[in-house]
Amino acid sequence: MSALLRANIGFLLRHPWQLALSLLGVGIGVAVIVAIDLANASAKQSFLLSMDAISGAATHQLIGGPAGIDEQFYVTLRVEHGLQGIAPVVEGSVSVGEHELQVLGIDPLAERQLRDFTHQVDAVATSGANRNLFRDLLSVPGAVLMSASTANLLQLQPGDHFELLAGGRRFPAHLLGTFKADSAAGLDNLISTDIATAQEWLQRPGRLSRIDVRLDPDDPATLQQLQQWLPADTRLLSAAGRTRSTAEMSAAFMINLHAMSLLALLVGVFLIYNAVSFSVLQRRPLIGVLRALGVTRGQILALILAEATIIGLLATVCGLFAGAWLGEQLLQLVTRSINDFYYRVAVTEVAIQVSTLAKGAAAGFGATLLAALLPALEAASYPPRLTLARSTLEQQARRLVPLLAAGGVGAMLAAGAVVLLSQRSLGAGIAAVLLLVLGFALCIPLLVQRSSALLAPLAARLGGVWARLALAGIGANLSRTGVATVALAVAVSASVGVSVMVHSFRGSVDRWLLQTLQADIYLGVRGGGLAPQLIEEIAGLDAVEAISSSRRVRLETERGQLQIQVLDMAPGSYAGTVLLDADPAAVWADFEQQDMLLVSEPFAWRQQLAAGDRLRLPTAAGEMAFRVAATYQSYRVDAGTVLMSRATYSRHFDDPLIDSIGLYLRANSDPQLITEKLQAISGGRQQLLINSNQAIRTQSLQVFDRTFIITDILYWLALGVAVIGIFSALLALQLERAREFGVLRALGMTPAQLGRMISLQSASIGLLAGLAALPLGLVMAYVLIEVINRRAFGWHIQFSLAPQLLLSALALALLAALLAGLYPAWRAARSQPATAMREE
Amino acid sequence: MTSTFANSIRLRNLTREFREGQRLRRVLDHISADIAAGESVAIRGRSGSGKSTLLNLVGAIDAADNGEICVAGMELSGLPERQRTLFRRRHIGFVYQAFNLLPTLNVGDNIRLVLELNGVAARSANLRVKELLAAVGLADRASSLPDQLSGGEQQRVAIARALSHRPAVLLADEPTGNLDDDSAKIVLELLQSLRQTTGTTLLIATHSERISSFCDRALELEQGRLRPVASSEPASP
Repeated sequence: MSALLRANIGFLLRHPWQLALSLLGVGIGVAVIVAIDLANASAKQSFLLSMDAISGAATHQLIGGPAGIDEQFYVTLRVEHGLQGIAPVVEGSVSVGEHELQVLGIDPLAERQLRDFTHQVDAVATSGANRNLFRDLLSVPGAVLMSASTANLLQLQPGDHFELLAGGRRFPAHLLGTFKADSAAGLDNLISTDIATAQEWLQRPGRLSRIDVRLDPDDPATLQQLQQWLPADTRLLSAAGRTRSTAEMSAAFMINLHAMSLLALLVGVFLIYNAVSFSVLQRRPLIGVLRALGVTRGQILALILAEATIIGLLATVCGLFAGAWLGEQLLQLVTRSINDFYYRVAVTEVAIQVSTLAKGAAAGFGATLLAALLPALEAASYPPRLTLARSTLEQQARRLVPLLAAGGVGAMLAAGAVVLLSQRSLGAGIAAVLLLVLGFALCIPLLVQRSSALLAPLAARLGGVWARLALAGIGANLSRTGVATVALAVAVSASVGVSVMVHSFRGSVDRWLLQTLQADIYLGVRGGGLAPQLIEEIAGLDAVEAISSSRRVRLETERGQLQIQVLDMAPGSYAGTVLLDADPAAVWADFEQQDMLLVSEPFAWRQQLAAGDRLRLPTAAGEMAFRVAATYQSYRVDAGTVLMSRATYSRHFDDPLIDSIGLYLRANSDPQLITEKLQAISGGRQQLLINSNQAIRTQSLQVFDRTFIITDILYWLALGVAVIGIFSALLALQLERAREFGVLRALGMTPAQLGRMISLQSASIGLLAGLAALPLGLVMAYVLIEVINRRAFGWHIQFSLAPQLLLSALALALLAALLAGLYPAWRAARSQPATAMREE
Repeated sequence: MTSTFANSIRLRNLTREFREGQRLRRVLDHISADIAAGESVAIRGRSGSGKSTLLNLVGAIDAADNGEICVAGMELSGLPERQRTLFRRRHIGFVYQAFNLLPTLNVGDNIRLVLELNGVAARSANLRVKELLAAVGLADRASSLPDQLSGGEQQRVAIARALSHRPAVLLADEPTGNLDDDSAKIVLELLQSLRQTTGTTLLIATHSERISSFCDRALELEQGRLRPVASSEPASP
């Protein structure tokens, strides 16, 4: 190590707090990026692993209509056409206690060519030989296999008998054995059983969910032949493509999380800049001496950057470890949101991926070097003399301020241009938000400078010279205070932006729920259909004036997987569905009779559909084009929802099942009494999920709030970094001005007065940051609502502003700055004037 | 606010030590001296001899390890920090080699600050600021910032600030060290004339013989001890 570098490292080691703050800034930024990436990647990888395990060696899948595929077709394929490498599957969900599990019904005899795990079993309940496994799976009532970890979760041992709930009915089950450990990857929360058992549980007698097919890629003839054999409502899809399209449903959600983690890094960059630039400023005399001794500008530049590299390296390593830990904590939140909205995924541990670590390391290094570049260039510009007046440095900073502001205005204009030109791209929308934040941040030093100049005389009039000293000090030490204000303003503006967006979003969802949920009581069953006889009995109750019914089915279409909601609406309940681009009276008049569809707003946005377009769906009679009559308002996030009347559905699909019904009660009926009556009627037949209108609304909003917990955590991390930033800036300022404070103490200023002065300065920085954060936050909220959410999910959210959000953001900025200023104030107040003056 | 006492400064067996690594260095070693009110005294000595330390003790910026120190009638030994601060604010004026003006305050506010700390009403403070600026020849620079002034001008502002509250004792630590000869002369003459006008006791730390000659008498600080210097005796290098 060169003597030059040693001299600098020695300096850093003698200033451990400064080193620690630099490490903390980069470290938190890296940790957040790594954590989000790990949580997202782990959830996605686990889903893919699970899909891969379940698909096994299948290259294709035969998917039927809503009622599935007739099992006779499987027999025909195997027996008449002699097709090998195919296996029937019945899929659905059941619950054991509180745990919801995926059930995979298989034909053990057809499995070998496609899946390993279903016939490789570790712990077996019967006499230990695998040869009995198939026989037992076929003959023992309710026999199931599952992974050892799932058995642990359910507290079951091979041989145990237990009860499960499917379609609201109770069934006995028997754990036959657990999958071999090495073949059970991705199979958590899944139980495998014989196909007949699954059909019984899921009320699909004689029907299959799909047929898995293993085709030789070198045999296109079989593929073509198979396509010719398919019934009208059955499609042949690539297994990998289907997995991918399901996984992509959550892409927008994950991109938004990444954007939040980038914001944390952006705030971290300010912190690093602050720490590095302060360490350079502190070494002015040393650098002056080095320059006087013949060290070149290039060497000084290299020296500062080398030091930043070492800090970046250390912090990145710490950040990577912290990120892995944080990733584990966030994983549960991410998977819960994915489970709430997109698809079922069970993740037990974070999968550390080299690409994630490399991304975090690159971000940490990049951010550190970027943040160090400006101070390093400044240091390299020092003339070879022993001291440089502080005022000269501040003059340089003051000269830079208008240039920065001009650059900032340019960046904000560029953000506007990116939004206008990119139209639909989510990535471009996020880039525009970052440009907007950067642009506004560059204007803040000018705002600080002007405000300080305006407020200082006013402060003098109100509080005296010491108040003027506090206010004027902000503008006069812009190289320090400017950066601190920027860091805090960016973090608080993110709070304003996100909280106004969430508030508007929540309000829109609440209004939508209020309008959509028209029935008084909703009832359904988990993973299955309601028994028709039960529906009839319930509809016949005196207190029930009318009922509506609903059925949700997934269809594989040329536009990917989409969900169809089949509705039989109660008279007068049409108003619950808000139509956005067509005359409601005209649409509802023909809704039952004509073959028309309504498409949800997010689906219409993604698929670029509008009223008058046509959408092709695979019906029982083959593919058919349906007219899109209108787009309706919806805040659901799944792949895409299409509304169809029960009458239209019955004309084109062979599926009489009903998932849930809504009860419209007569006036003066007591919902509580009706609920008890419904429980009595269904008791012993089907376990119903009965919820009032209000309960569904409350539960929906709970899920909504749960989704934004991650956003909250990321926001608090960003704010934490900003508080550390302002703390380090104030402490740096205090150290730099130690002699000035010494003079004030020598002149007779008491420690309390000095502390008050610094606190006033901190509070003023906080107030300026808060005031600057409000317009930025509001613009950010507008962009989040109109650009980011629109592009990510296709929602139209009504902008709604609550004054308390702005006031609390302002209070937050003030509090953060005051907290950050406490220690520097205390430290300055207890400094001994003699010591400060002796350092002269 | 003017304070006059028969014996402005009384030092008895004053000792001050500083830790340097593992060892203690005794900078002032049982110093005793009396300085009368209105007297001007030069403290001479080499760099590091303890001149600034002595001034800091007299100015109540620092506290002695041992001994007694009485300034402007106030016994400073054992005085709590807050009392020392209030004492300093009311009775002591400082002038430093590096001026130590507050860079973010203009000239007028630099002077006004001390008056404000002493609770002087705004109107009186303004009058006093004007009076002092006129006295130091900077009446038209009240709104200038310190870094817009020359070194000599800054030191004149520092003198005005030091005398703004009419202190009993004016402490000047190498007041001309950063100035050229012409500016140094102006500053010294100013110090003397203002001191004579106000009757303030002046203690100047210096190693300049020329400055010593401006004072009523000089004391030499050598190896922690204080001794009188004959007017003809040359200053230490």
